[in-house]
Formats: sequence, structure tokens, C-alpha cells
Amino acid sequence: MKLRMQITKDPEIRFISHLEYARTISRAIRRAKLPAAYSEGFNPHLKFSLASALGVGVVSYTEFVEIELAEPMEVELAAKALDKALPRGIRVLAADAVDTHHAALMSQAAGANYRVTLPYSRDISEAVTAFNEAPQLLFKKAAPKTKAGFKEIDVKFYIPHIDVTCDGAATVFAFDCKITPTGSMKAVDLLNALNEHYQLDLPVEMADIERLNLYRLSKKGNKVPMLNNDAVKLG
Amino acid sequence: MEKELTIDILSSVQKPARYTGGEFASIIKPQAEVEATICLAFPDVYEVGMSYLGFKILYHLLNKEQGVQAERVYAPWIDMEAKMRERHIPLRTLETKKTLKECDIVGFTLQYELSYTNILNMLDLGGVPVLAADRTDEDPLVIVGGPCVYNPEPLADFFDFAIIGEGEEVMVEVMTAYKKWKRAGKPGGRQAFLQEVVKISGIYVPSFYKVEYNENNTIKAVQPVAENVPPVVYKRVVGDMNSVDFPTSPIVPFGEIVHDRIMLEVFRGCSRGCRFCHAGMVYRPVRERKPEVLKDLARQLVDNTGYNEISLVSLSSADYSCLAPMVHDMIDEFKDDRVSVSLPSLRIDSFCVAIAKEIQAVRKSGLTFAPEAGSQKMRDVINKGVTEEDLMNAVGAAFESGWNSVKLYFMIGLPFENDGDVLAIADLARKVQYKYYQVTGKRGCKVTCSASFFVPKPYTAFQWFAQDDLENIRRKQFLLKDEIKTIKNVTLNYHDSKTGIIEAVFARGDRKLGKALLLAWQKGARFDGWSDCFDYERWLEAFAEAGLDKDFYAARQRGENEVFPWEHISPGVSRKFLWNEWQKAYAQQLTHDCRRSTCTGCGVCQKLGVKIIDYKNAHGEVEA
Repeated sequence: MKLRMQITKDPEIRFISHLEYARTISRAIRRAKLPAAYSEGFNPHLKFSLASALGVGVVSYTEFVEIELAEPMEVELAAKALDKALPRGIRVLAADAVDTHHAALMSQAAGANYRVTLPYSRDISEAVTAFNEAPQLLFKKAAPKTKAGFKEIDVKFYIPHIDVTCDGAATVFAFDCKITPTGSMKAVDLLNALNEHYQLDLPVEMADIERLNLYRLSKKGNKVPMLNNDAVKLG
Repeated sequence: MEKELTIDILSSVQKPARYTGGEFASIIKPQAEVEATICLAFPDVYEVGMSYLGFKILYHLLNKEQGVQAERVYAPWIDMEAKMRERHIPLRTLETKKTLKECDIVGFTLQYELSYTNILNMLDLGGVPVLAADRTDEDPLVIVGGPCVYNPEPLADFFDFAIIGEGEEVMVEVMTAYKKWKRAGKPGGRQAFLQEVVKISGIYVPSFYKVEYNENNTIKAVQPVAENVPPVVYKRVVGDMNSVDFPTSPIVPFGEIVHDRIMLEVFRGCSRGCRFCHAGMVYRPVRERKPEVLKDLARQLVDNTGYNEISLVSLSSADYSCLAPMVHDMIDEFKDDRVSVSLPSLRIDSFCVAIAKEIQAVRKSGLTFAPEAGSQKMRDVINKGVTEEDLMNAVGAAFESGWNSVKLYFMIGLPFENDGDVLAIADLARKVQYKYYQVTGKRGCKVTCSASFFVPKPYTAFQWFAQDDLENIRRKQFLLKDEIKTIKNVTLNYHDSKTGIIEAVFARGDRKLGKALLLAWQKGARFDGWSDCFDYERWLEAFAEAGLDKDFYAARQRGENEVFPWEHISPGVSRKFLWNEWQKAYAQQLTHDCRRSTCTGCGVCQKLGVKIIDYKNAHGEVEA
């Protein structure tokens, strides 16, 4: 069986890298003594996977880990044991189980919901309206591994609509970002694209980015939670 | 409230998790319970500092004390330091984000002479005056400990007091005294506390001693100038390793650190008596932990950390009396947990190769041997106690077990060494390759030789020795390099020797060097142990401006009766024993290991009232 858990990357540990996050989960699985499956060979490693690679500095309340078990274990017990074995800053929110051959969770993710907070107070409503009405917005995102060093994407394909509010001290962006089998885009690139196209001076380097939700889409296009309806909820 | 690190800064530096804490098993106590905060400060980057067992022990031990909060801080890498200085952000602890100035005590470990500039830099970044004389009652007490503390004199201007020897017991005594003084309202200020703490055995307060010099700049005398101050501060030593606490739930970092595994200390001390070895002298006597105790600790460590490797650490783990059965038991016990067992170093014999083979059943690792010197003459000079035959037997056993490459570790620049001795390293590599041919019938065995530049250390037989100068050591390096170039599949690694010179200056330096240290730091020296940060010219300028001669410290042969700057601090080893060892080095005579044989007269057990503990025999104690 395969355990699937929704876990967090809380603000206090936001600066650990994806690799560091993965190592931490694997050690926690061992500390929790989950009956996890291992690969064969000289360097046996735990069979577990993380749904997505979160950027350094990005907070998330909706990360997912899938753990293949060598023998079955009650979902709630497993979730509680792992939660206890994790450092402060990573919590288990919910868990379910599926059979081992079930498709990887991440292949089903269709979109993510973000909140981005900036210490910025100028009125950008015109740019926001223009963005929401634009049919297309091309942006050259950095792609260090390619020959050109960048890749042109249509921001509007991934992020059709943004909601922006300002309380006088901070500006908050709320939006959904599409995830496709060939990839997605970084939340921070939305800000870069806005700066570039509408000549804004958003302090991108100060962006406090939080991923609030990750979801699947039903055949009708409705948002569906990643875990099954019968998932056990903790905390 | 002073500024903290912001998102933009943390997003722009390498490995930001170095600075944010929150690791599994890190300890934050409710602030209402905390009476005194001690910051364990490691003067190098996080990955290096987090690998240090001494601080794992103290962190655990001090946090067990009621009212004491032990926290950690590491040297920010240069990218982070630049940001901190630009925005005036102070250096803070990882746990409660206190600035160093806000801590009660800041304790640095002295692991390596080339990290001294980082101590000054960290104090400055943490808002603490770098000079002890400039600190007020508003500032923390700055203390030092660790292996280099047997000559802390170059740092005497910068710390308030030093912990000499093993910290397990004395650190608790210091914190108890501190809490008492703080509860009473800190009567008499920091001076009064120093007068109180100096009464604890193993505490050295440099400002309570006066140093007199001879006209030739050597030391005339070092004498106490205050009451209740011992003329010689002897190290503290833990009598029984079985009863002292060992951390069973150390912090597990998020990222990869240098020694990213369980470190289980099987014994402390080593009495093989290698004449170059500082650790072998200052950590005496040998005291083993019982195998049952170790197995119990290992189980707890595996359960609590989730690590998949246990390293059995000590100065020479292959010498552990119960090694083979214990390794066997551990491999068996932890097989299902997918935990492997490893040894940090191997002794040169076939027993060790057999152990290595058993260990490798779980995970593959390379084989490294340390003959230390190429010729038999030199191995006798340093009292290595290893012959060429031993090495051939060891590598032969390794090749029979399927290894096809070995690493050999050597030193050059040792006392009484001539060019022939240096070239003997290449010869030995050649013989190792031939052994491979003899055993396997094949050629192409890969031999990696590493040759480091010998640095004489205080409290060793070679403390009288004049280190090779730069020209000579370079000549020897090139000589060996040219010779090794002619051998197929043998490679030579060596480092720039300039760092070795500076290390030698501080290893046997005196208080006057504080001025040079301060100047070098002011000129931008930090991370001197990192070749990309080290600047030799900067150090030469600092010495010149301080009016000091590096050769006086590094490249000068000392006379039999010269008073050394460090002799008012002692690991218990007698000067007479060391001088005899120095004479025996010249005569190429060996001194046996006292561990399971007769006393060789170093004086430590008698002076400190401790005993060798070794479980070769049933009850463990060896009569001196």
C-alpha cells in the first residue's frame, strides 16, 4: 500500500531547499518506524516521493508525500507517528492510503493556489485590470539548462486571473496557477512579468510566497482535493 | 529591537538554511524557565560546526541543566556577512535568535588555529567587543575550550576565561556558579565572577597571569597576579566514560553536513604515542566505553535520529578492545533498519581489513591507510610503530578482498627528514602497486597519496622542532611530485604550505600574537582555513605591523630549557617525558603503547589521578 500525506513547509523553515526537505522527510519516516519499502542493492533507499519541488523560500500548507509500505499500517497511526517524528515546521495535516499501483499523486495535480505578500503600497489596480483582460502575456523565464538561457512562456495560460488587495502597508496577490504534465510556472515570475509589462516596481526580492492549496480537476473542471474524501485529518 | 534577516537576504545567499535553525531535536525552552543562556559558537560554517561531536555533547548536557538554555551559532559565510554588515544586522543564535551580546556566555571551541580570525569576526558581528579589556558588565563572558586550548595564549586578549580539558563536568560547574552569581544580582560585576570561577579546577583566566619576556623575546616566566589562582591549570578529565552522559538525541540537520551520520564515541584518548600527534598527548589516558553501553547508545541513536550510518569514532577506533564482536553485533542488530557501521580510520593491519570487509557488506566505502611517512627511518622517528611489511600485509589483504584502489596519507616536513625520506613515499606507492600485481596478477591499481605539511604542536615531542620553511617544503613537494608523475595510476595531493606556516605560528605562539591576529582580522582575514579566503600577504603585513617575526614562532628550534608560553596550562604530560621522546626521535627509537603494557612515564595518570580503562581484560582497569 501507499500512504499519502498532506504536509506543510511552515514559514520558520521556508529557506530549506527541496533536497533538504526530502532528506528531512526520509529521516522522519525512519524515526517514525513506518514499515516503509526500500529499494534493493548496496545503497537501499526509502521508496517515497514528494509531489512537487517547492522553491527555496516558498511556504506551503499543501505539500504531499507518498510512502510505499512493505506491510500495511493503519493510516491514522502512521500519520500521527510521522507527525511526531518531523521537526517543528513540518506538520502532517491529512492522510489517506491507496494501492501501490495507483498513479503518482503529482501526476494528478492540476493547479495550485497562491498568496503573495509584498511590502508595497502604491496603487497598481490599472495594471491588475490590464493583466486580467489581456489575452496573452509573454514572459522569458530563466531556464539555465537550455542553450538560450531562457524559455518564453505565456503567463496568462498558467495564471488567467489575479486578485490584488492593499491595506496601506502591504499588497497581497491571490491567484491560481495551472500545473500541466509539462510543467508550471513560478509564482515569483508573475511579479517579474508584471514589473516588465506594466513598468511596475514591485519589490520581487521581498515577496512572501505561500502556496495555500494544491488540487486536481474533475472531468467537469471542478477543483477536487488531492486526497480522497475519506482522508484522516490531523490538527 | 535590532534588525533580523529578511526574505530578500535569505533568498540571495548560498545555503540559507545555515542561518534559520528549527532542525529536528533542536531545543528551545520556555523563556520563563531560562536563567542563563550559553551560546556554543563554532568559528566555521554550519556544515563543519554541526559535525563537531564536542558541541553535540555539550548542547545536550547543558540543556539538561535546569534554567540553562544552550544555543548555537556558526560563522556566517562571506556572502551572508556582507549582507549583515551592509544592513547592520547582528549575528544571532539559531534557537531564540538572540544576538551574541544578549547571551550570558558565548563559548567558542578552538579546533584549529586558522579559525581564530572567525572568532573575532563573530564577536564583532554579534555586537560584543572583541577585546576582553573593552567588555563591560553589559557584555557576555567570552570563553574558549577545545584542543587548541592547551596553548590559548595568542587569544589571551580576546577571551575572558578558558575551560581546560574535557567539558562534561566542568561546564556544568561553571553554569551553576554563573546562575548563582546572576541570581544574587551579579555582585561585583564580571571581575568578581572571574575571581569566583577561577576557583573551579580547570579554569584559566588569562588576565590573572603576568607574562615576562627575556631580551631574546622568549618567555622568562608566567605567573599568577591574583589570589586563589593556580600557577598551573591542569586539564579536567572524565574518569569513567560509562557514567558520563552521551547525547542520544542529537540535532538532525536538514541539509548535508560534513559528518552526516551518527557519531558514537567508543573511547577517549590514544596512547600509541605518535610523536607528531597533539591529540594523542592531550586526551590521555585511554578510557573505553563498555560494549553493552555502546550498543545501548547505538540503538537509541538510531531510533532518535533516523540516520542510516553509525560511525564508531575515537582517535583510533581499530584499537577498541572489543571491536570485532561489537561491529559484528551492531551490523546484525541494525541490518533490518538498513543502518551501516563505519570506522573513520583504519589501522595498518589485516585485522582492520577484515573488519572493513565485514562493514562493506552493507555499504561500500574506500580504504585509506596512514603510514604517515615513506621511509622506515621516518616512521621510527615519529614512533608510528608500523613497518613496510605491515603495510604490504594490509594492502595485500585488501586486494585479496576485492579492493583495487587505496589512499595513503603522509606528512612531509617532519623532523630529521632528508630528500631520500620524501622520495620514499613514491617508492612505497610503487610497492603497493606491485603488491596488487602479486595478489591479482593484474596491473592498474590506483594509489592516491596525500602529503600534508607537518605543523609542530605544543605538548608533543616535536614542540622543540623548527618547522621547515616555505622554500624547503616547496622543494620537497616538487621533488615528490616529479617522482610520482613517473608512476602510472599514482596521484599526489598536496596543499599550499602557506596556511601551514600561519598555523605553526599560532600553535606555538605567545600573547604578543594577539596584536597580529587583531590586525589581520581588521585587514579582512577570516575563514583562513579555506584556501579561497586565505591571503598569506595579509598575514605577513599583520606580523610586520605588529613588529613580530613569524619565523621566531614557526621556524625556530627551541632549546632544552626554553620556557614555553603555554606551560601554565597543562594536559598533565610531563616535560621530561616529552624531551625524552624528542631525544628518542633523533635516535629513531620506539616507545611502546602503554594501553595494554607497562607505563611509559608520560605522567598523566599520576598527575590527574585517572586510570587507563580498557576492556581487553574483564574488569577494564589497567594498573599503571
